[in-house]
Amino acid sequence: MADLKTMLRLWVRVLAALVLLGAGAAATCADQADSLEQRIAPVGRVQLDGASPLQPLVEAQPKGADAAEEPVFTGAPQLKRRDYPNIGVSSRATVWVLAQMHLFFGALVLAVPMFVLVIELIGVRTGDDRYDDMAHEFMKISLTAYAITALFGGSLALALFLLYPQFMEYLMRVFGAQMLVYAVLFFLESLFLYLYYYGWDAMRYGDRKWLHLTIGLTLNAVGLTLMVVANSWATFMMAPSGVDEVGAVVGNIWEVMKGPLWNPINLHRFIANIAFGGAVVGAYAAYKFLAARTAEARAHYDWMGYTSNFIAILAFLPLPFAGYWLMAEIYAYSQQMGITAMGGILAWLFIVQAVLIGTILLAGNYYLWAGMSRTDGSVRYQGFIKWIALTLVVCFLIWVTPHTLILSVSEIAALGGSHHHVLGPLGIMPAKNIAVNLMLVVTFLSFQLYRRSDKVATVKWERAGNALMGAIYVVAIANIIFAGVYYGYFTNTVYKVGSSVMQVVSTLVVIVAGVVIDAYMFKGAKQLPSKWGQVPDRAQYALFALPIAFTWLMALMGYVRSSVRTHWHVYTVMKDASVDNYIPTIGYAGNMITIVTLLFLVFILFIFWIANLSTTKQPAPVVEGGVE
Amino acid sequence: MSGQGVPGRILASLVYWVAALALAAALFYGLDHGVMAMQGLPLNWDLSPAQ
Repeated sequence: MADLKTMLRLWVRVLAALVLLGAGAAATCADQADSLEQRIAPVGRVQLDGASPLQPLVEAQPKGADAAEEPVFTGAPQLKRRDYPNIGVSSRATVWVLAQMHLFFGALVLAVPMFVLVIELIGVRTGDDRYDDMAHEFMKISLTAYAITALFGGSLALALFLLYPQFMEYLMRVFGAQMLVYAVLFFLESLFLYLYYYGWDAMRYGDRKWLHLTIGLTLNAVGLTLMVVANSWATFMMAPSGVDEVGAVVGNIWEVMKGPLWNPINLHRFIANIAFGGAVVGAYAAYKFLAARTAEARAHYDWMGYTSNFIAILAFLPLPFAGYWLMAEIYAYSQQMGITAMGGILAWLFIVQAVLIGTILLAGNYYLWAGMSRTDGSVRYQGFIKWIALTLVVCFLIWVTPHTLILSVSEIAALGGSHHHVLGPLGIMPAKNIAVNLMLVVTFLSFQLYRRSDKVATVKWERAGNALMGAIYVVAIANIIFAGVYYGYFTNTVYKVGSSVMQVVSTLVVIVAGVVIDAYMFKGAKQLPSKWGQVPDRAQYALFALPIAFTWLMALMGYVRSSVRTHWHVYTVMKDASVDNYIPTIGYAGNMITIVTLLFLVFILFIFWIANLSTTKQPAPVVEGGVE
Repeated sequence: MSGQGVPGRILASLVYWVAALALAAALFYGLDHGVMAMQGLPLNWDLSPAQ
């Protein structure tokens, strides 16, 4: 018991340290909120001073007797085309594939231990070994993927040093010893990951279990730190901070790291990784379900698939809001960059994004509807499904409606203008904001109905609670549509943008109210039997669709995020002079995105196969007269 | 509730729903004002822009 208390104290201290770390970072940001100009130094200063970032490299050379005391600032290298080695294949394509594969696997490896830790903790709290077994099995996927992550990471580093040596030299100069911190973190990640996985059974019960959970918590703390450190390199390239207009380092490492896009990217990747990880392990569960030969195995993998879908969809619901924040910060940093992303050539990729997100939501909802057949109590709610499906399809169609079409003269004449007189207004953000929020609201409704389908409330205020929940849905949907239509089409732009926050809050109110009301209403509820393993096989294909759409989406939007730098290695301070210093055609980008997606899926199939192989035992050969 | 007749149950449901809708409408009305005011975009009582 004393050990238990010690362990709990340790947990509290670790959590407190993490909270303090976060609070410290927030406070530092707040302290320097008035120095926004310094944070966005390159663009801001160029605008204020009228100085061009294309000026030749400035090196403040020390002169005279005071030379030893004056700091030497060296700007970013100004490259020529001959500075880039030519190895006979496209440097950009090589780095593109390696970086994207590393990011896919990195996301998976960092995300899985997060929800595994929560599942393990639920297992401890409930005393149900099934949670523990499931968490352990999830970790098997993460462990197998870890080696592949490292291989792609190493290959990426080698490719970057080979193909973009001056650029890497500059990044090394800017980030300095932080690169070594990253290496140490990587070492720690490996250490805790192996301890966590291989120590599972050795630390399964009693106080040892708390030690195991602590290792899991530390693993996640290290993993998250690793992620935010690596994110700072990407966000420095997009929105450099801590350097002057020619790229000379004028701030400390913290000022270099905490650029204006760092925290939006951190949040977005944190949430997206969990959704992605949930989707991938869901596909593993579906694969095992379809291959299962016994009712017991089918029940186990059915439950595993349900849990994975739960994780993926729950993490996915707030993701558009994090993405919205990121885009808002991009616009705040540089309107030109924002317009390049959403108003120029890359804008078309947002339509593809809508298709993929629509696929994710349709697949996630379909899985929930199919899963409702596990219990007879679901008949009470099946009438809602067709309306949810209708809302999803209508909103999906609104979301994929483009604003500006690429038209020939005859097509413009036939259309009566460059925009369709009815569908044109659906192409702009207010309509899409309504569509996205309604899709999220009805997806949560599917989720809520699924959760309710195997329960019968026994509280006296059930009718009042249901009326309140229903009223919140009705008013929230009305509010989302009102805000989008009224402020979006009939007021000025500032109110139009501001009203999108109103819509987001409406959606979040539905989700929070749904969770809180159901938690109290179904406390001590009568539980109806759930027949795990009796879900139709076709539901498993929805679980396969999720990681495919998620992977494609990550590749697509990762490309958009990186491409907004246009012809800059580091936006406004270091120009890209290579042969690839332009945004490629949509077709070329689409092919690259599809190739990396397929490549990742091939590797994932390999991982599933390896994970299956590790539990396969060949029976001992039997020969006549005894065992060989 | 089980002792109520059909009209009684309908009336009770109606009361619940009207009360719930009024409560939800008040909640979202307040939220709309609060969320917009926090962004420096005040609204009039009829939710039209005050600026």
